[in-house]
Amino acid sequence: MPDNIILEMKQIEITFPGVKALDQVDFTLRKGEVHSLLGENGAGKSTLIKCLTGVNHKDAGQIILDGVEINPQSPEQAMEMGISTVFQEINLCPNLTVAENIFIGRQPMKRGRTIDWKTMNRRADELMERFHLDIDVTRPLSFYSTAIQQMVSIARAVDVKAKILILDEPTSSLDDNEVKLLFDVMRDLREEGMGIIFITHFLDQVYEISDRMTILRNGHLIGSYGIHDLNKVQLVTEMIGKDIDVIFNLKRADVKADAAYMLEAEHIGIPGKVKDISVNIKEGELLGFAGLLGSGRTETAEMLFGAEKTAKGSIRKKGKDVSLKNPHDAIMEKIAFCPEDRKLDGIIGDLSIRENIMLAVQARRGFLHPMSRSEQEKLADKYIKALGIATPDAEKKIAELSGGNQQKVILARWMATEPDVLILDEPTRGIDVGAKAEIQRLMLEMCGDGVSVIFISSELDEIIRCSNRIVIMRDREKVAEVDGATCTQQNILNIIAEGSVAGKDKEAGV
Amino acid sequence: MKKRSFNLASLTRSKITWAVVAEVLILLVCFVIRPDFFSIKIQESTGVLYGSLIDIVNRSAEISIIAMGMTLAIALGGTDLSVGALVAVSGAMALKLMRWDVLEYVTPGNYSVKPFWMAILFPLITCTLMGLFNGVLIAKGGMQPFIATLILMVSGRGIAQILTDGKQFTTMYAPFKVIGQGNLGPIPMPIVIMAVVCILMGLFVRKTAFGTFVESVGVNRSASRLSGISSDAVIMIVYSITGFLSGIAGLIYSSRIMSNDSNNAGINYEMDAILAVVIGGTAMTGGRFSLVGTLIGSIIIRTIVTFVYYFGIVAEATMAFKALIIAVVIILQSEPVREYFARRSDKRAMVKRG
Repeated sequence: MPDNIILEMKQIEITFPGVKALDQVDFTLRKGEVHSLLGENGAGKSTLIKCLTGVNHKDAGQIILDGVEINPQSPEQAMEMGISTVFQEINLCPNLTVAENIFIGRQPMKRGRTIDWKTMNRRADELMERFHLDIDVTRPLSFYSTAIQQMVSIARAVDVKAKILILDEPTSSLDDNEVKLLFDVMRDLREEGMGIIFITHFLDQVYEISDRMTILRNGHLIGSYGIHDLNKVQLVTEMIGKDIDVIFNLKRADVKADAAYMLEAEHIGIPGKVKDISVNIKEGELLGFAGLLGSGRTETAEMLFGAEKTAKGSIRKKGKDVSLKNPHDAIMEKIAFCPEDRKLDGIIGDLSIRENIMLAVQARRGFLHPMSRSEQEKLADKYIKALGIATPDAEKKIAELSGGNQQKVILARWMATEPDVLILDEPTRGIDVGAKAEIQRLMLEMCGDGVSVIFISSELDEIIRCSNRIVIMRDREKVAEVDGATCTQQNILNIIAEGSVAGKDKEAGV
Repeated sequence: MKKRSFNLASLTRSKITWAVVAEVLILLVCFVIRPDFFSIKIQESTGVLYGSLIDIVNRSAEISIIAMGMTLAIALGGTDLSVGALVAVSGAMALKLMRWDVLEYVTPGNYSVKPFWMAILFPLITCTLMGLFNGVLIAKGGMQPFIATLILMVSGRGIAQILTDGKQFTTMYAPFKVIGQGNLGPIPMPIVIMAVVCILMGLFVRKTAFGTFVESVGVNRSASRLSGISSDAVIMIVYSITGFLSGIAGLIYSSRIMSNDSNNAGINYEMDAILAVVIGGTAMTGGRFSLVGTLIGSIIIRTIVTFVYYFGIVAEATMAFKALIIAVVIILQSEPVREYFARRSDKRAMVKRG
């Protein structure tokens, strides 16, 4: 093998209960390169990194660092071997000084007993100089901006004589100038021969800084490419992949010609989240939202539900102006919303399936008009049966159900409110194919009954299959609207990809 | 109706069962040492029940009432440290209001009041508002409940001092005395008030959907909000209730001593109330709660105190002894112990069947 290879991971396999998180994945890192690791959420990027840093243990495969097989058991061990990681969330202590943060756990000592503050601060100064940062290392870390804190955590990672530096989404909280500063540092480190693994979902940055990229999807290796071997469209295609058409014969319901507008939003937006968007949806229509993660699709949905209050513009429901200040307002207007993060924003883990289903109906009635126990049981039993929720009875804690069944319970919560508008944010993520198909079938059924459904998904094929119309979002704004019946994945991919370049200049003006 | 299984194993897994077991054990020890511990007689002169058991329930009234509110605060994943201080505020305010026209009354002690209802209502309103203040800090200010309620815990007694110019007032006004020392038929008034409060609270949380909302917000505030529950309103209502109930407890306490005592009224009540809730099986992490459990918990705490008084344990050792018994109760309720007994009874049940 060429001697500039610093790390080789061969045929890595990791199995979590019920899922194969990584299946025969190979990964090679060379000295002095920035290597991007790409894939959608759940593709296995973080699992691969955690395997390398000793957080997760592999079931099969080899990790070879500098020609020696290693088997790190903990992040500390991995760090000793020369593998340093900087995580998305800064995990430093904001109340300690910059110098203390850099040397925490390995402070230079005086006569082996007391901390040698002078040496520590001097060395911290030297290190910061190397990073072109002119800061006072004796100030508490919290005094400085997020970008500087990020630099400090990189400095700390590098100073432990790392051979490999892993940067997990380091740019997600940085602005353009800060990103530039970070990239300068990365280039310096590359010059010094360090191997850098870079994880991000900003495709522009991938092309700006990396030398090579490796793409994962659903725990499988899709391929490793030089940066010029693949253009953005091909890259997005590879990342998203094409789901095998396992779904039984789903038929998109046609919107009636005389259907009235159900919900119209004009020029709504929140500074820093969504620029300015106008969308409308008719009775019985299924409106798809396509776009990469972070393109503003979730934020738009949240505005239509009042979870985030729009800073401007207006929303009309059935031709009548409505003010949606909080979710309760939206529920009173018969708008429903299944949030993206089921665990964080959806399920109430300790409560029973029955209580989880009746919650939104009860919230609309107010606590002074309680549903009787028998009403609740009837409601729960009805939806457990209708949605095929796999549970012995309605009193089981929702936390004990599988992801797909939890999603169905959340869906039941909203179907029970008999909404006019149902907004579904990634309802099929992380659930198995059968449950996926069932949720799509339910969506289309509801459209048939005259409900307007907004469907957000990262999987283009399911959007195209179900939607009457598709809104394409990029860089926090709507860039196109296409007809669901006639468009293809390629159309949408082109629109998403070409914007990554064009969109950036626009953004600078905001 | 759905079938609910009442086997021994599920009973031994319940924290409330163990709370009851602990209470019974303590009472048994009392019985062994003093066989007349359980006797309940009617006092001939007044027609009121008396006896150790009545005394235990009577004296637990303040903590029981406060712990009802504390249960909800803890179910929300929070806590309310200000309750003890609010007891002092309530008492100070009541006594102050009963002396409005003190200059016109020369005979010391027997003050009446121009509208007496003010001396009852104003302290309650004040305490409710102070509870609301806690709730606003937590819900709207995003403060940690521990810190938010610490503010009034620390400053409450100072406020009480200011209300009474640092003086300790006494009164002999008969209508006020009824609250803490009167009776309804044969039952002491504090027990009546405590029963009414417990029943009303039980009805409020279980006959409306409020209890479910509290549990829901306590488990997952963000998901509850997205389901249409006004999480902020729930939080503010709960802390207002806790404040209101502290006000009631303050009136009972000051009526018992017919005086205000800003330094000692309600001292350590917050800890006793939290303890009562925990012994009653509600987890400090929030979520599911049990008012019945809390009631048992506060009676246990009072039983221990009574036990200590009755059996002549030296005053200096009282706290240590109380701590010791509580530690035993909590250990009995701990997960490993309950699991151990549950497994044993599982086995026994299997042997029987097999």
